Amino acid sequence: MKRSGPLFTLLAGLVLALFMLSVNATSGTGSSSYTDSSSDPAEPTAPPAASTPAERPSPTRAATPSPSPTPTKKAPADARYAGRTDDDSASVAITLRDGEAVAYFCDGRATESWLKGDVEDDGSMRLTGKNGAKLDGRIVGDKVRGTVEIRKRTWAFTAPRTSKPSGVYRATSEVRGQQLDGGWIVQPDGSQVGILKRDGKPAKAPRLDPDTGAVVLADGGRLTARPVVP
Amino acid sequence: MSVDPNAPTQGGFPVPPRAGGPPRAHPARYLVPALVAAAVAVGLGAYGKVHDPEGTAFNLAGFSSTGAVKAWLATTALGFAVLQVVSALMVYGKLPGPSWSAGVHRWSGRAAFLVAVPVAVHCLYALGYQTATPRVLWHSVLGCFFFGAFSAKMLLLRSERLPGWLLPVVGGLVFAVLTVVWLTSALWFFRTFGVTT
Repeated sequence: MKRSGPLFTLLAGLVLALFMLSVNATSGTGSSSYTDSSSDPAEPTAPPAASTPAERPSPTRAATPSPSPTPTKKAPADARYAGRTDDDSASVAITLRDGEAVAYFCDGRATESWLKGDVEDDGSMRLTGKNGAKLDGRIVGDKVRGTVEIRKRTWAFTAPRTSKPSGVYRATSEVRGQQLDGGWIVQPDGSQVGILKRDGKPAKAPRLDPDTGAVVLADGGRLTARPVVP
Repeated sequence: MSVDPNAPTQGGFPVPPRAGGPPRAHPARYLVPALVAAAVAVGLGAYGKVHDPEGTAFNLAGFSSTGAVKAWLATTALGFAVLQVVSALMVYGKLPGPSWSAGVHRWSGRAAFLVAVPVAVHCLYALGYQTATPRVLWHSVLGCFFFGAFSAKMLLLRSERLPGWLLPVVGGLVFAVLTVVWLTSALWFFRTFGVTT
């Protein structure tokens, strides 16, 4: 006798999986709980096209220059990059380590995204974040050029290589039952932007002391932010 | 492992019979489940790697985030999996158990599997196969491996005249892998975000 119970179990799982896939595929992005804290109703940033510099590349993969691989076949060196979008509305910082990259996009008000992924040997990277956020970039000389796409909006950016204390920082903590999650980008010139989420609600973050990582909250509380590495 | 002679008749639980038939099973009895298991595991991994992670999926009402839903579903699956081990020991007579322990084993296994499927669908659909950190790498590898091993276990149940040790070993493997998958995801989630719903 062949038992069919196990087969029915497997089939039930398969049917359930296909059903959930179809629900996922048809329900779109609206029902997601993976927020990137981009506040949809009041998109605060100007459209990227509003202040397009002459050399702004098209927001597609064409933003990365035609292949100019480094002569030696090895993973790109560990480094930090920090810069701004071409329309100057937001900051982008990327940290590379061991062929992997973590990036943070932050406009200092409402839109932010953490992105992760691998860096190819030729210095190109395709990072992904929550809610379908994407970063396509390539290391060209001592800069990363590329585009960030969040919620169907695209920004081109240039991030020159930088060094401590410039870079990307993050602090997560629970203070009096409130979940705090902050991200900061410190530019080479010392300026910084950051977003501090309280229970998922984004707002401009208080200033971060780049040397110590200390953050003093408006209510007197303290956070310690640490440099982000992949 | 010796098999309790009382066990196999209970509810048709598929403890391999010890007597009758050819002494050696046809290789296909092992090969087909093994090949299916490999195909499932590799297929899931390939889908997760090739498919562009959507980052989004539906949520269940009453939960704060998809991560919380998945963590609790995974914890439920692990709970059923523990029940699996206990009821299997009963079926094999290693623990005293009621006559319906075989039924408990079958239905808790189905429940664990069906609860784990939505979690895996979300993982593969929204997040994909990732290798960025050791935790994520192991979770990706073993998550795919789990469904392969589970498929093998199900298909092996249909075969008779298997060595007595095979099902317990495969079942134990499925349980061990599920445990690691849970440790690298739900436990991490609870430790990072707190035990929230």
